[in-house]
Amino acid sequence: MNELNSILRERVKDLNLCLREKYDYLFGLSKKELRSFINSHVGEIKKMDKLDTSQLALYESRGGIVGVDGSVNRLGGAHPHYVEVYQALAKSTSQKEGDLVLADLYTPLYFDEEEDSLVDEEIIIGDRRNEKLATLELDVAIESVKKHKPYAILMDGGLIRYNIHAHDRWTELRQLCEEEGVILVGVIKDIKTSIIGDTIKEIDGRVSNRYYDREILFGQLDYGEMIIIKDEVSKKLARGYASVFLRSSLAPSVIGMDIIDSQREHIQEMARLVFTLTPENSRGVPLWLDIVDKEVLISDDIMRSMMEEYLDRDLYERFFVSERDKRS
Amino acid sequence: MKVVGITTQQEVYVGSKDRNFRINEFLIIEDPYQDNLLGEVVEANTYNRYIPLNIYGDFVDSSVLESLKALGYNIDDDTIYIAKVRLLNEALYPIQTGSDVRIPKFTEVKDIMVKSKLGEGLVLGVIKNTDDLAKDMDEDLKGILYTFEEGALIPQNDIPYILDLKSMHHYPHIGVFGGSGSGKSFGLRVILEELMDLDIPTIVLDPHYEMDFGEGAPYLEGTGRDFKDKFKCLQVGIQIGVRFEDLTAQDLKNLLDAASNLTDSMNNVVDILFKPKDSYYSFSNRLQMLTEAQEEGSLDRIESRITNARDEEERKAWIERRDLFINYDKLCPYNSVRGIIWRLRRLGNDGVFSKDIREIEDGLQQGKLIVIQGSTRILQVFSTYLLNNLYHKRRDYKDALYMKAGADYFPPFIIVTDEAHNFAPKGYDSPSKSILKEISQEGRKYGVFLIFASQRPTLLDETITAQLNTKLIFRTVRASDIQTIQEETDLTVEECKRLPYLRTGDVFISSANMGRTIFARIRAALTTSPHTLNPFDELKERRQEDDDRFLDIIMAKLPINDIDLAQVALEIEQETGTTYTVKALEERLKQMVNRKHIRKEETIFGYRYIK
Repeated sequence: MNELNSILRERVKDLNLCLREKYDYLFGLSKKELRSFINSHVGEIKKMDKLDTSQLALYESRGGIVGVDGSVNRLGGAHPHYVEVYQALAKSTSQKEGDLVLADLYTPLYFDEEEDSLVDEEIIIGDRRNEKLATLELDVAIESVKKHKPYAILMDGGLIRYNIHAHDRWTELRQLCEEEGVILVGVIKDIKTSIIGDTIKEIDGRVSNRYYDREILFGQLDYGEMIIIKDEVSKKLARGYASVFLRSSLAPSVIGMDIIDSQREHIQEMARLVFTLTPENSRGVPLWLDIVDKEVLISDDIMRSMMEEYLDRDLYERFFVSERDKRS
Repeated sequence: MKVVGITTQQEVYVGSKDRNFRINEFLIIEDPYQDNLLGEVVEANTYNRYIPLNIYGDFVDSSVLESLKALGYNIDDDTIYIAKVRLLNEALYPIQTGSDVRIPKFTEVKDIMVKSKLGEGLVLGVIKNTDDLAKDMDEDLKGILYTFEEGALIPQNDIPYILDLKSMHHYPHIGVFGGSGSGKSFGLRVILEELMDLDIPTIVLDPHYEMDFGEGAPYLEGTGRDFKDKFKCLQVGIQIGVRFEDLTAQDLKNLLDAASNLTDSMNNVVDILFKPKDSYYSFSNRLQMLTEAQEEGSLDRIESRITNARDEEERKAWIERRDLFINYDKLCPYNSVRGIIWRLRRLGNDGVFSKDIREIEDGLQQGKLIVIQGSTRILQVFSTYLLNNLYHKRRDYKDALYMKAGADYFPPFIIVTDEAHNFAPKGYDSPSKSILKEISQEGRKYGVFLIFASQRPTLLDETITAQLNTKLIFRTVRASDIQTIQEETDLTVEECKRLPYLRTGDVFISSANMGRTIFARIRAALTTSPHTLNPFDELKERRQEDDDRFLDIIMAKLPINDIDLAQVALEIEQETGTTYTVKALEERLKQMVNRKHIRKEETIFGYRYIK
């Protein structure tokens, strides 16, 4: 055991060294240098204020804000003996009884699909999961636009993935929002882009590594600052969206926000809304999305009790209780 | 409101999204498979899954909540209310989860809440948290009392708590427990007011001189009432006392012991020298003569006194002394006899032996409340004598009735005392303990009842505590007392945990008659204790008066130069008869300067006092 630990220790030390080497260039940049680079090549760094109550009251009178999120849980063992449950929720700040929920489930046992080779099984599962979830989330969003006509919709996660996983529904929601004048925004807790890094690489020939925005921006923005990404930069990423990065809480990490192209004039306003709704001492996520997230979550306990309650016991045991579940 | 979670036959949880629960309120559970079941809230909780605001470890600040509120979402709306409800009677089956729960109507709870008719029971206060039920309450139960909260009178909103006096016959004796400032004395006062209202013969032992019902409470602003013709305050040694001829040797020893502790030898002296039917005079005379004989020193010298007596009377007296000397000198040491004489005189001078208990008996016969006042020591002894006497009068009357013999009527009565642990302490003997113990065990048969109040239930004799069938328990902080209460009552662990935090005047009433504990609030007393002036206010008032008086004298004489002080002192003495030395006068003037009534001014000739 001690042997193994020492091996692992060495490996971790190596990793530390590697990271130091790889990010040598990045860490060498001063905050000032980096910020001026961002200002001139990526987008303007701007200080924003929180919205005041009268502004928020105006939103409320125009239908409030809807938060949309989805969740997935899985129970059972290896393929095909498992069941996945998906749920999406659209929750409006101003409609007390207006929570819209949609749910679905999937198990390979029932939805007979041709058996692919086992190799890409995980990829298929991942894709299907993304697709189901995106579709459900878009469905509740569409329904909530029709029903509540909110001032704005905050989707949990970037908008781009909807285009990838559920193109048709996404187009529908997008059009609907444009027609109804509902602002559509995606809030990205974990940014995965490398816009700044790519720009650095492009301009400075010495850089060959790929740096992600999350690494670069860590601690570089002050509380309440945002970067409105220039069109020409963001277009390289994907068409049809405008994006900002913002530091919405005292935590040094930065979150991202997307808005559909046609509504780009609202981008600062929406960034301020996100900033306003984010607790100072938090991870940077707007409280409303956290509340929605918490409500939509299907916990393991609920999942299990639901299966135990509504599936016949013999079926449940036969199909979905794995060896791992029986360990205790 | 619905039943949620796992249920049992005794307890369920009830959840509500919009109605907060209160502890001790009543709810009806409409179980579809059983009759409606009545339960009481024993624990009330609220829960908001977003508060404490640590969603995923984040700490939410109020500005964000304000923002959400402006957007139309109030996080408080997500609060849910949960009550633990204990059924009054066990159900046949565990309650169906999901059963509807509602607030009962008054008629559904009347039988368990109101055990006695108005005019037959003691209206002590209100049952807390019953305002929802009280709305459709019988009209005659409405508006019959006020409670006193946060310095103001509050009209009655709840169901009144009426202590069933008649049930004392089956469940005798009441205990009133609570620390100082818990409302215990007020509770006792309210009980006594109610007893007077019903003309119940009552004896109150009042070591604190506070049980006076002659003054309406100030907060009632004149609308209160007094009980002037319903009670009588009697002081031991002034209006009432002990008839010496009725005393037994033990009674007498107790009395003397109360004057000052007796030594063994003194006890012995009383046993030897006291004869039944002795009067105060005959007993004290005997003691006196014995000491005089002992002072002579020897039999020979007494004999010579007899021979040399100037007249027949003196001779007889010395013969008597001689006989006493022969009989008792060896048994009764001189110093002990002197000790007894000294104590006897002391009681005699206090008037203890010059009065009797006639006035008390008369008062009881008239259905009055008799307050007996005196120091704790005197009361201990006097009550022993008094209660023995009265209890046996009542007992003789009842016994005579059983035996179909004629006897003088003596009414049933109630004995009330605060600081009861002084009269019937646990662990050691006190003169009054044995009679109180007897009454606690047998008094029910004869219609003699006890109402005992104490701050320290732990110090009260256990036999008596066990006999207190109804207990009023006010705020109690001391752990040992809470322990005792837990052992002696049907208060639950949760209720005992609340004891240190009860508000003044809130009380748990545990009564064998009710079969469960009721959480009540004592009503506002109609009368007030004579000691309500705060001693520090008294000091302040007194000082103010003194100052005013002094200023009256001095103001006309201002300005006063320092060289004139002697002259001024003289003038004051002539005018008012009050003498000040120059120094004292100056001291006083300085005080007036300090309190800013006058000023002191420097002049070229020294200083002077001016207005």
